[in-house]
Amino acid sequence: MSVLNLNPQTIKQLKRFRSIKRGYWSAILLAVLLALCLVAELLVNSRALMVSYEGEWYFPTYAAMNPGTTFGLDYAYETNYRELRQTFEEEDEGNWVLMPPVPYNAFENDLRIGSYPPAPPSFEDQHYLGTDTTGRDIVARLVYGFRIAIAFSGLLLTFNYVAGIIIGCAMGYFGGAFDLLFQRVIEIWSNIPFLYVIMIVASVVVPSFLTLVIVMAALGWMQLTWNMRTSTYKEKGREYVSAAQALGAGNVRIIGSHILPNTIAVIVTFVPFSIASGITFLTALDYLGFGLPPPTPSWGELLSQGTNQLQAPWIVTSVVVAMVIVLLMVTYVGEAIREAFDPKQFTYYE
Amino acid sequence: MAAIAVRPCGARRFGKFVTSYFVRRFLLILPTFIGVTILVFTLTRLVPGGPIERMLNEAALAGADGATTISAGMDGRGGSVLSDEQIEQLKRYYGFDKPVILSYFDWLGKVFRLDLGTSTRYTEPVWETIKSRLPISIFYGVATLILTYGVCIPLGIVKAIRHKTAFDNVSSALVFFGYAIPSYVVGIACLTLFAANLEWFPLSGFVSDDFDDLSTIGKALDILDHAALPLIAYLAGSFAVTTMLMKNSLMDNLAADYVRTAIAKGMAFRRAVFAHACRNSLIPLATSFGNTITLVITGSFLIEKIFNIDGFGLLGFESLVERDYPVVMGILVISSLLFLIGNILSDICVAFVDPRVKFGSGGSNQ
Repeated sequence: MSVLNLNPQTIKQLKRFRSIKRGYWSAILLAVLLALCLVAELLVNSRALMVSYEGEWYFPTYAAMNPGTTFGLDYAYETNYRELRQTFEEEDEGNWVLMPPVPYNAFENDLRIGSYPPAPPSFEDQHYLGTDTTGRDIVARLVYGFRIAIAFSGLLLTFNYVAGIIIGCAMGYFGGAFDLLFQRVIEIWSNIPFLYVIMIVASVVVPSFLTLVIVMAALGWMQLTWNMRTSTYKEKGREYVSAAQALGAGNVRIIGSHILPNTIAVIVTFVPFSIASGITFLTALDYLGFGLPPPTPSWGELLSQGTNQLQAPWIVTSVVVAMVIVLLMVTYVGEAIREAFDPKQFTYYE
Repeated sequence: MAAIAVRPCGARRFGKFVTSYFVRRFLLILPTFIGVTILVFTLTRLVPGGPIERMLNEAALAGADGATTISAGMDGRGGSVLSDEQIEQLKRYYGFDKPVILSYFDWLGKVFRLDLGTSTRYTEPVWETIKSRLPISIFYGVATLILTYGVCIPLGIVKAIRHKTAFDNVSSALVFFGYAIPSYVVGIACLTLFAANLEWFPLSGFVSDDFDDLSTIGKALDILDHAALPLIAYLAGSFAVTTMLMKNSLMDNLAADYVRTAIAKGMAFRRAVFAHACRNSLIPLATSFGNTITLVITGSFLIEKIFNIDGFGLLGFESLVERDYPVVMGILVISSLLFLIGNILSDICVAFVDPRVKFGSGGSNQ
């Protein structure tokens, strides 16, 4: 801790956060999940982790694709490592293939003779949660969908925060005409039906990842802006700001190095809830078919498949359980942070 | 005690201080309304694939079936069945021949004359289309409203009084669940579990097919049967926030000096809660009351789609998919008006419930 040179207040808040067990453990678990997500290619992938062929070792995960001819097969397109493993096992010549725990990627259709997708969960086929309506592995769709949703929320959060902090601080600090103008803008903006406008846009241009983030950020920056405005306004009235002004500090310096650190509680407590709402919104849009274009793996798309295929309950169940777990954890973290920053003690009668 | 004597009675105070504020608020509806509609209107005009293109496509499809296809030579769009003149006529009819801003004011003028235009999909007045969906939406809106307040207020009170007991902890888990999980996920989970797997409830719709043949009681039961799952989903959306708001504000009040004083002077705890603390604790709930009238529209998008309820939300969704912009704009008009009025209604509620509130600063400090 001493390396970071944190002030005592922050250390106290960190301690308080750690003392809230569910929030603390959720944060750790989420961090682990995120770390696993970053290396999802090693865990859920149709490419092998390692191939040993005629004394040579191959690591195909992050490398360029290996045509089938590399391993003595008779085709030039990418090697099917699941088949390769079987072939090697049958040949029994000392060659071997090490597959990831889930040997499917999010896009391939695993169609089998004699059965139609969706297929129920099966350990034998290593489709641990079954397949969706086009035979894609649900675990793979969930994992990669989660990664996209988190990246989406993170980027959206960054956009919202940049806009929210700059505009909100300026509104609260300068006040006057600027404040009034943006108050009206925010009022109009927040009266626009959010989902509706995104759907209008998305119904016309098939949204890419980035356009969707930008459109959502354009419609969602008001909440943080408003909160930042209020807290900047409150801080501006305090003595230390007058003192800084009297000492001749510039506006940017006062906002950046004096006011902003004092509004940190607002900034930090919003993070988990923004992440949760980012995931929720993206999933809702995908569910309605106005989100990221297929075949992007997404929870919303799985949900809509599942509600259209109620005879395949494993689809809906997987997504709902995944969503419940992730959102609960994010919210636990959010509550713990809020409590760490603002310990509201109630007195009550026994 | 002097303070109490000075405090004017509710009605007079309301008349004196607040009327001018609310008149101003009502006047402010207009610019905001115009701001919102002009934005969305422009958006619907800028995007390609509007109703004209859709009609042309349909006409082209219909023409392809027939033997003769009149080629009008529309800018590379070979095989169009409409002549240029007809297309111009269509454009004029829908106001597509003018610049955006002019056709916006045409549209706005019509709205002020209570004419929302004609649906391009149903070819009937937009208002008729909307009106036919309204009863279902209002049914769900009102039922949710009653359920939310009927469940959340008592639950919040009990949770505040029994803070940190087993009951509080167990119900907190439930509340937290409802808080973290969006209502559409709750809806989908309920649909899968209770309707598809256990078959306790029907899968979708507002009433059964044989609804007209049922007796009055049968009809009521049929509606309830269909409404149970959507209502759970709707309730999940507002349940957590309202309950916790009630609980927290009651606990704030129970810890306040005036309740402490009342108890110290020998008032029974029960009476202190219900006669003093409860009324004050309802103030934060009053701030959100006005917004609940927009519940008729907002948020119902997803739930109506999941349960296939033919209400306002599904209409909005379908008209978006079909690019039926008159209906899209009509729904926007109604929902944004409701929302704006709802906000003011909230303030009126607060002014009535809380005598300490003074309006007039334009709310610029909050």
